[in-house]
Amino acid sequence: MNWKRIAGLDTLAEQYSYAQDPVKGYVSASKVADHWVATTCGYCSVGCGMLVGVREGKAVAVRGNPAHPVNLGKLCPKGLSEHHTLQTKDRARNPLLKREGKFETVTWDHALTTMVDKFRAVQEKWGPGALGVVSTGQLVTEEFYTLGKLIQLGFGTRNYDGNTTLCMASAVAGYKRSFGSDGPPGSYADLETADVILLIGANIADNHPILCARLQKNEKATLIVADPRVTKTAMLADIFLPVKPRSDIALINGIAHILIRDGLINSEYIKLHTTGFDELKTFLEKFTPEHTASVTGLPIETIERVAMLYGRAKAAFIGWTMGVNHSTQGAETVNAINNLALLTGQLGRPGASPFSITGQCNAMGSRETSFTTGLPGYRKFESSEDRAEIAALWNVPVSRIPDARGMAYPDIIEGAIAKKIRALWIIATNPVVSFPNYDVLKQAFGNLEFLVVQDGFHPNPTSELADLVLPAAVWGEKEGTYTNSERRVSKVNKIVEPPGAAKSDFDIFLAVAAKLGVRDELFPGWTGPRDAFEEWRKVSSGRLCDYSAMTWESIEAAGGIQWGGERLYKDGQFQTADGRAKLFAIECEPFPEQPNQNFPLILNTGRTVEHWHTRTKTGNVAILNNMSPRAWLEMNPRDAKKLDLKPHDKVSVVSRRSRVDGVELRVTEIVAPGQIFMPFHFAETNVNRATQSAFDPISREPNYKQCSVKVERTSERSV
Amino acid sequence: MSLPLLERAIHGDPITRYTDGAACSANGLVNLRLIPPTPETSSPSLIPDRLPEPGEQYRFHFDMTKCIGCRCCEVACSEQNGTPADQSWRRVGEIEGGVYPFTQRFYLSMGCNHCADAACLNGCPVEAYTKSPETGVVLHSSDACIGCQYCTWNCPYGVPQYNPERGVVAKCDMCHNRLADGDAPACANACPQEAIQIEIVNIADWVADHSAANAPGLPSSHHTVSTTRITLPGELGPELEKANHTRVHPEHPHWPLVFMLTLTQLSVGAFAGLALLRSARPLAAVAALLVAFISLGASTLHLGRPIYAYRALKMWRRSWLSREVLLFGMFAGSATAFAAATMFGLPRLAGIPTMLLGFAGITASAFIYLVPARPSWNNWHTLVDFHLTGLLLGSAFLRALGVDVPAGLIAAFASGQLLNQLLKLLRLMRSDEFELKASARLLSQDLERIFLARFALLVLGGIALTLAGYPIPAFVCALVGELTGRYLFFVSVVPRNMALPWAGGRAA
Ligand code: SF4
Ligand code: SF4
Ligand code: SF4
Ligand code: SF4
Repeated sequence: MNWKRIAGLDTLAEQYSYAQDPVKGYVSASKVADHWVATTCGYCSVGCGMLVGVREGKAVAVRGNPAHPVNLGKLCPKGLSEHHTLQTKDRARNPLLKREGKFETVTWDHALTTMVDKFRAVQEKWGPGALGVVSTGQLVTEEFYTLGKLIQLGFGTRNYDGNTTLCMASAVAGYKRSFGSDGPPGSYADLETADVILLIGANIADNHPILCARLQKNEKATLIVADPRVTKTAMLADIFLPVKPRSDIALINGIAHILIRDGLINSEYIKLHTTGFDELKTFLEKFTPEHTASVTGLPIETIERVAMLYGRAKAAFIGWTMGVNHSTQGAETVNAINNLALLTGQLGRPGASPFSITGQCNAMGSRETSFTTGLPGYRKFESSEDRAEIAALWNVPVSRIPDARGMAYPDIIEGAIAKKIRALWIIATNPVVSFPNYDVLKQAFGNLEFLVVQDGFHPNPTSELADLVLPAAVWGEKEGTYTNSERRVSKVNKIVEPPGAAKSDFDIFLAVAAKLGVRDELFPGWTGPRDAFEEWRKVSSGRLCDYSAMTWESIEAAGGIQWGGERLYKDGQFQTADGRAKLFAIECEPFPEQPNQNFPLILNTGRTVEHWHTRTKTGNVAILNNMSPRAWLEMNPRDAKKLDLKPHDKVSVVSRRSRVDGVELRVTEIVAPGQIFMPFHFAETNVNRATQSAFDPISREPNYKQCSVKVERTSERSV
Repeated sequence: MSLPLLERAIHGDPITRYTDGAACSANGLVNLRLIPPTPETSSPSLIPDRLPEPGEQYRFHFDMTKCIGCRCCEVACSEQNGTPADQSWRRVGEIEGGVYPFTQRFYLSMGCNHCADAACLNGCPVEAYTKSPETGVVLHSSDACIGCQYCTWNCPYGVPQYNPERGVVAKCDMCHNRLADGDAPACANACPQEAIQIEIVNIADWVADHSAANAPGLPSSHHTVSTTRITLPGELGPELEKANHTRVHPEHPHWPLVFMLTLTQLSVGAFAGLALLRSARPLAAVAALLVAFISLGASTLHLGRPIYAYRALKMWRRSWLSREVLLFGMFAGSATAFAAATMFGLPRLAGIPTMLLGFAGITASAFIYLVPARPSWNNWHTLVDFHLTGLLLGSAFLRALGVDVPAGLIAAFASGQLLNQLLKLLRLMRSDEFELKASARLLSQDLERIFLARFALLVLGGIALTLAGYPIPAFVCALVGELTGRYLFFVSVVPRNMALPWAGGRAA
């Protein structure tokens, strides 16, 4: 009892006082820093530069770095409160080993000995491939590079993949197929100079708001947004295309059809720089405006108008995110998009690019150093030349370099069910919430002999299931580089010490390597992430993602450096064997689980601006969680009426697989009749209990965006 | 006590003239634009390059065509002011309308509107609010505030936020201390779309025509002459609504006030009876006095800062809350004297001044609640309700103490209250106004049982038991009934407010 407070004396005056901060100006005294650390935001791949204010060893404030070329001082709400993620309660502090269902704190030495012993035992008994590793897009590039070597050469398993397969794999695969290599060809600057901007399945106002600021600088551009849902971004559009779910390929093909029909293509460019035009032309004949209209649900005039705008643009930009990638035809959709850019020569010039906007802060870094879908530096497993080159660089026999990709993320999970995978190491990702069709994942985890979860946060839904939890430092507690969507490599700096016994992922990897006895061979003389960076500079030298001219210092000084310069393929020379880009004839297929009488609604999932992925971070930031505390389900009033549901009713989303109960209903015209939308952030009401196990055969990316469900009122009993 | 730079400059403080001569304008004030750029560089278009002149003030401009609803401004404000996570000085609301795919979604980002006729300020009993004569910013002083929360009822935009941890209210101050330094407010600075700006407005012109302060999802600007100028998108549909319009939940019950109001009313009613009825007795007077003191004492529990309750007298010239405190204070004094007098057998008519002061106090009480920002309170039912509670409970109280009050009179008061409540419900139900309809919905849905119980108690205590000759049970029933009524009064009000986000807040 605070009697002074109860009587009414102001006991908190100090807490609510103000002061002058030399950098931020007049501000709450609690936010005044004694020094500022420049770094890069650890949430999404926009890659904003920020300054974090520190006082007495604690991060107390954040501001956008006005000198950073990406964000010019602006940050989204997550960035603006990112210092709070460094002081949350749910941080993992000690290695924890589960004994008889209970976690016990153990030493690092004990933890890593146990881990290596278990992994080795599994590999000896069931073969090297029985160990699976799933990483993330959240580590620094130096750590990805180190991890790739550790897994593929140290542990000798190929079954290594990242959370990026749930996110960007379709863009990666699509780029590789069209251009011979991954790598988004454009820059954010293109948003400012293009005269037509087409966004497909990209809700940047919620998910990459700082790009809206770049877009806003462009006063002349016509913005076209294709999305089945009237997103915040749709409201920014000059032309909104409310396409039917998964009809984007038809839309793109339909546009291409009109461009060819009306001669709005760049024949010179096609002749010099592409292959496959004739086949494509013949194939596209059937995508008449009438056909396209019937598949997409758009009026013919709109399709014609959009095609005209794109075809006549001086510089046309196509941006996309998960609406395209999260599909069984994700990679192919990317190819269709690339077709459009190639047919019109809309790439390699300012404002002209087919541009995938990435997800996590360093998904790009994980793609460059990879060792999951390819060899480091966008080298190919299949190429004996590439294998020889990398073996020489590392001074190992070429026989140790794998010649094919191992299992992709979903295949690792299904591999566990089939008992091909017996032990799993999960790093900085939370599949219990993020993986589709939760029941499958649960079964897979149940089959494992040993599950290691390395994360900054514990307990989280995945770490709770682990046999061993390794506490990791997170953003702000370690050093390295991130690459953003526009290939800009930015420096990430240490702001505060990690809590308890937590270590940087880099240090954990080296310690595991030491236990494994491969540290001296794979990481000779390495002590810190800078050693990884220096080796990576050599390994990437001469590749598309060439770091050889960069140093940590030059990156820092420039506010980030784009590998490949402002844009790729300026000369029309691609990374394919013949130097030409490939055109693909892409069929528009219906999505795999069509609605029927029993499951009449199409479920779409996505994000909201306040949260990041599975909320292990943002759920711990009071202001963000307060702004968006619960999941909701968007449903059109016509459907609600049919189902006799009212706003704010608690409803259940039921699919063939499972159900999500107790979701608050939002009756709204944001979604079309027959479609519903739910955010995927919330472990408590996890929409991925309903989503399906359907994966892109090329990229292995899950089809999160459409599955068929029914909705009913949640009965008291089912909650 | 350090004044912000701008105010110091205006008051001729030489320290502020730290720039060289060229940087000073003719009147010797620091010309904001010429201050060497501070490290936090604000885009110059976000704030004006001069100070408001006499007759002018600063105001917000919000550009709805630019806003993407990203809520950076909200987080930036919280970081700027160190506010608790659930108390936003800037809020981003959603408005929505149309039919798919011609759906319209827009956002309203609002801090305080620094109104020309600020209701928060007009009602405050302690002058915690002042409108800066130089900048027009409506400032709130945490030192002066006693935490009565009256301003939170008065502002039609729901701007002032009560901080229970600290016991006072707080709100957006337009970051006027930053403005004085030539820095943009934190919200404006953080907005990636540059949708928030500070501009200068001529007050007289604006008072004459403030239509540009209106937008779908906002209460009409005429209540307080909001100074925020809003740029609206070109083709706004007519049917745009607050996205949160379906989320209506009961308000805070303010228990100390439920008791304070009901019991002071009881006491006033009892003293009226003592003054007018022939068979009044000293014991009853003392009992009624006790009730008065208990209730007035309890009322301070409502304050965030009970120790400063006496300050509430300060603004009696303009605040109904001050007037209430003053009148009930005088009532208590006079009632004490009267109770003492009855012991010495003074004529009961000496109680007339006490009664009049009491009725005046009840009237002042009611006027506190007659505020446009709370439509279901803002009608004559409130006035009648409060007086009838006094008459009903006062007479039932006296009868329970053995004073000879005609049962028919009590039943008549009860019937009057019954009628008053029914007419009010009818008025709410038949209204086109969202807040009134929503109140009716609360009473007839969420609060239905309590609402029916209140009626039952009124009929039982006020009429049935009274006429049947059980004065004590009758009084108890009536008292519980009126307390329930007052509870419903507080929880069933749906305040005017700006549109808020669909998500957030309490679960439905
Ligand atoms: S918006 Fe509300 S708090 Fe602000 S000045 Fe107007 S009445 Fe007062
Ligand atoms: S809470 Fe009461 S005293 Fe404080 S500012 Fe509001 S009206 Fe004034
Ligand atoms: S002006 Fe300052 S206090 Fe007001 S809403 Fe903006 S940041 Fe908050
Ligand atoms: S920061 Fe700007 S764009 Fe974002 S919600 Fe606030 S006013 Fe709107």
